[in-house]
Amino acid sequence: MKSVFKKMLTAMRGGVNELGESVVDNQANRIFEQEIRDAENELQQARQELAALMAENTSLARQIKNTEDEIARREDDARKALAASKEDLAREVAERIVEAERQRSELTATRTKLQGKVDSMRERMQKSEKQLAEYKRELQVVKTNERVLRTTAQIDTNIGSNQSSLTSAKTTLARIRERQQRLEDKQHASVQLEKELTGADLDERLKAAGIDQESDAVEGVMARLKASRSESAS
Amino acid sequence: MDTQDLTLHLSDTTHEGRHFHVMPIEGKEDVLQVTVSGAEEMPVYLTADEAQILCFTYLFDEGEVIPERLPTLLDNMLRLSVPMPLSALGKIEQHYVVHGALATSATYREIAQELTTLADNAIDLLEIFEDFLK
Repeated sequence: MKSVFKKMLTAMRGGVNELGESVVDNQANRIFEQEIRDAENELQQARQELAALMAENTSLARQIKNTEDEIARREDDARKALAASKEDLAREVAERIVEAERQRSELTATRTKLQGKVDSMRERMQKSEKQLAEYKRELQVVKTNERVLRTTAQIDTNIGSNQSSLTSAKTTLARIRERQQRLEDKQHASVQLEKELTGADLDERLKAAGIDQESDAVEGVMARLKASRSESAS
Repeated sequence: MDTQDLTLHLSDTTHEGRHFHVMPIEGKEDVLQVTVSGAEEMPVYLTADEAQILCFTYLFDEGEVIPERLPTLLDNMLRLSVPMPLSALGKIEQHYVVHGALATSATYREIAQELTTLADNAIDLLEIFEDFLK
């Protein structure tokens, strides 16, 4: 991945990362993609082979176990024959044991070899899985880079110089501010309108002119109260 | 991600009170220009392939930056890039951009969220970086 990044940066800095001159052209990408697909197929096949080897290994382990059981059983037989002073019989059993032991060591040798095969195959597969993931990541980076370049080229061609993508940021900022100002004005106007509709605006102006209906009303009530009080007092 | 479906869906939807104006950009690539209401000055461009949906907005060009202030600007951009919601700062050829990527499995809602956030971030960034521009 490091090498891909390096190549891309060199190309970008050198200004050769224009359309048609991309780091890895489309044809190369397709070849790369095909290689990845092939590698994936091979890996899949290897996985099946590994499964078969592992099954064989399990079967061998079972055979070894059977042989060991037989050896143990035969040894028991031989001991019993010796105890009964049947040396000839015991010897015959001993011959069987030797045969079984030979079989066991053969099976064990085969199994050790097979285990080695399984281990190295597994290691190889893990390596190629890692490599494959790395290739995929590289391909994705290269493809995304190209897509971005093609996309921006397409935008530049289509939008032309009359839209914001190619107007200067300062002009855009001025437009943003205009819109924000318009919005503010609109909000201000609607607050004003609301006031006018509810009469709050008139009240405000009356208050500003020293005419406060509410305090006038309080004064009126006070005067009335005072008047009725002086009436009852007289 | 089918951009035609996305166009129809976005044109017909509002997200957090914002609506979208979608215009396909003619050409070989599937590119949409999306304008988000309330941030119309900063259109977001959206393109999708089998791996991801890529959205970006142009901020300013390298030619617009006051040369002696460039190192500080870049430092500020890198610092802001991390905490900025759903977007990162970047550069495509001579354009500085704010961008975000989504998985192709993203929902319409997530895409709408990304577009809105990008457009809003773009405006904020432009205002913040104004002093660095010629």
